[in-house]
Amino acid sequence: MDRETRDMLLETAGRFFSERSGKEVVNGVEKGVWPADLWKEIEEMGLPLIAVPEAQEGVGGTLADLLALLRVAGEHAVPVPLAETTLANLLVAASGGKPASGPTTLALGGGDLSLQGNRLSGKVMRVPFASVADRFVSVVNAGGKPTLVVVARDETSVEETPSHAGEPYGTVVFDNTPVEFSAASAVSADRALELAALMRTMQMAGAADKVLVTAVEYCKQRAQFGRPISNFQAIQHMLAELASCVAATIASAESASRDADEGGLEDGGSFSIAAAKTQCSDFAHRIAAISHQSMGAMGFTHEHILHHYTRRLWVWRRDFGSEAFWGEKIGQAFAKAGRDAMWPALTESRYAA
Amino acid sequence: MSIPKLEFPPFHLPAEAEALRGEVRAFLKETLPGIQTEDRFASWNTPSPEFSQALGAKGWLGITWPKKYGGAERTFLDRYVVTEELLGNSAPAGSHWVADRQSGPLLLKFGSEQQRQAILPRITRGECYFSIGMSEPDSGSDLASVRTRAEPVSGGFRVNGTKVWTSGAHRNHYCITLVRTSGQHGDRHKGLSQLLVDLKTPGVTIRPIINLAGRHDWNEVTFSDAFIPEDCLIGNEGDGWLQVTSELAFERSGPERFMQNVYVLRELIRVLGRQPAKRASAIVGRLIARLWTLRQMSTAVAGLMQGGQSPAIEASLVKDLGTIYEQDLPEIARTLAESDATTEDDLADFLDIAQYATMMAPSYTIQGGTTQVLRGIVARGLGLR
Repeated sequence: MDRETRDMLLETAGRFFSERSGKEVVNGVEKGVWPADLWKEIEEMGLPLIAVPEAQEGVGGTLADLLALLRVAGEHAVPVPLAETTLANLLVAASGGKPASGPTTLALGGGDLSLQGNRLSGKVMRVPFASVADRFVSVVNAGGKPTLVVVARDETSVEETPSHAGEPYGTVVFDNTPVEFSAASAVSADRALELAALMRTMQMAGAADKVLVTAVEYCKQRAQFGRPISNFQAIQHMLAELASCVAATIASAESASRDADEGGLEDGGSFSIAAAKTQCSDFAHRIAAISHQSMGAMGFTHEHILHHYTRRLWVWRRDFGSEAFWGEKIGQAFAKAGRDAMWPALTESRYAA
Repeated sequence: MSIPKLEFPPFHLPAEAEALRGEVRAFLKETLPGIQTEDRFASWNTPSPEFSQALGAKGWLGITWPKKYGGAERTFLDRYVVTEELLGNSAPAGSHWVADRQSGPLLLKFGSEQQRQAILPRITRGECYFSIGMSEPDSGSDLASVRTRAEPVSGGFRVNGTKVWTSGAHRNHYCITLVRTSGQHGDRHKGLSQLLVDLKTPGVTIRPIINLAGRHDWNEVTFSDAFIPEDCLIGNEGDGWLQVTSELAFERSGPERFMQNVYVLRELIRVLGRQPAKRASAIVGRLIARLWTLRQMSTAVAGLMQGGQSPAIEASLVKDLGTIYEQDLPEIARTLAESDATTEDDLADFLDIAQYATMMAPSYTIQGGTTQVLRGIVARGLGLR
């Protein structure tokens, strides 16, 4: 979509999230209340079908549009699988399937998933929103070829293990489970994981931005020793450091999004995504540490919203590959290629070879 | 939400700039092996007049300046590419660095026609080198407190005072010197001016200040009744503060703020061998991700500047993050090499490199604006002061 249309969509989505996905809704999800109304409205707005071509009953737009929306969703800690569903729908459509309505999630990173005929077996841990999604989408290697599979949740067993942000994550066991849909996948299993990591970087960029705004606003209002604590140089320098970590998070996520979008769904921005997920995950610690320090006990309460964001940063840095996972992949490639390949690779945002 | 959005719009360097990159790489590959330097790993503070002249002959110094002053009228982004290739390939760029980055642009913006004609073509040929005369014994981060005084006399100024940390003054030709030309010490920003000082001027004495690594980069430059002709005043009398702040902007946003010890990362990759352990790979990957991110941020800032914006906060954020990365790098690399270097010889060699980088590291977060000064700028941008 053109710049103007996208900006309008993002503004509308941002306003919608702040009105309909506030503190109570986020806290409710942590207590096990599925916000059915919120999800219904999200579907009515067509958000889960962004980047699905109109010819396939989607609302159109690009991967970049989808990712920009996810940054806004991250900024509001939207506690439903919007990211997972949009990417699942995009993958299903790209593989020739028809996205279904209802919350959907991604069962990725399970190296031992196997497809025999029309039946899937194996286990995937830490599947986001596993217990509330209608179905799981995965990409498995069958006969050496990447195959996209869609499995109804009712056919599986889900052991709920909520994430540390209180979202209904879980372990999904496929035990000779019939698949609802399968097709030659438009992307490899590794690429599906990359795309999922990319969507997390944009959510992290949104959350990081919100943390900065929250901490800055708080310090301007909170008075101690007879003046706002933002008057103290010690606080000013902490918040400036926080801003640098947030800036790096945003910049890396946005760069990876652009590279993925420009390079295409199949393999665009492969290295940039790995680098961005590494960077965003690496800085999550400082962002949480500094923001909490600046807000003292107040920010450590369940009452305050800061934890909606800092806890998600801690969860999201592990989702779809942590800094250790993606860092190892980068480090291995650069070591194998040797020192002289490093600089040229960096200037082209690609793995050294 | 009153704070400004931090945006680093991803920016592609244009095709012409990328084409230039290929030319620069080919030139460096051919030229660098024949250049002797005092440093094992050269950087932007390693001098080599021979190299600077070779670069000038290619037309890559003062690359953005008008042709009538010897420039190539190319874009700021072309300059960015030349700069990062010099750094990425450890070229000894120290002789021309300051002249090309800030002194030349300052003269172009504020200097007289005569000054431009006399100086700029020589810079573009790689023959004329500059020092920065800002800091004094009692004026570091608080630059507006300078005491060096230029008293108007017939035909010029009589200058008295002392500048310190003046890099390269013992081998460079000129020093753009911030002085008080009117008013009193307490007047702060008012009454300051910049003078184009020929370092061979009688009454100018240059003494070495040796740094902790035993290197002679810095000098103390003393002015004792030194006569500076009036045509060496840069811009208007009293505009020194305005000019010096515009000069500092050139100092903060470039890739030299995260790439001056990139050799440490390159050598780390060498000593870990082609198949490092998982943990070692992950640490290297995290360092590479940080460097890549800094480069994305820095090119984004370059894109904003090319588009006519002046992203002062963004530039400060890049320097803050970049110099802290440079400071972390030798430490992370050293501990990793100690556990994972492939051979004892490689380890000994690498520890030597890391030791040198460790000694240089404190300077990164001091020069060109300390971390604390930068954070003050960012805090102001966030509306905190």
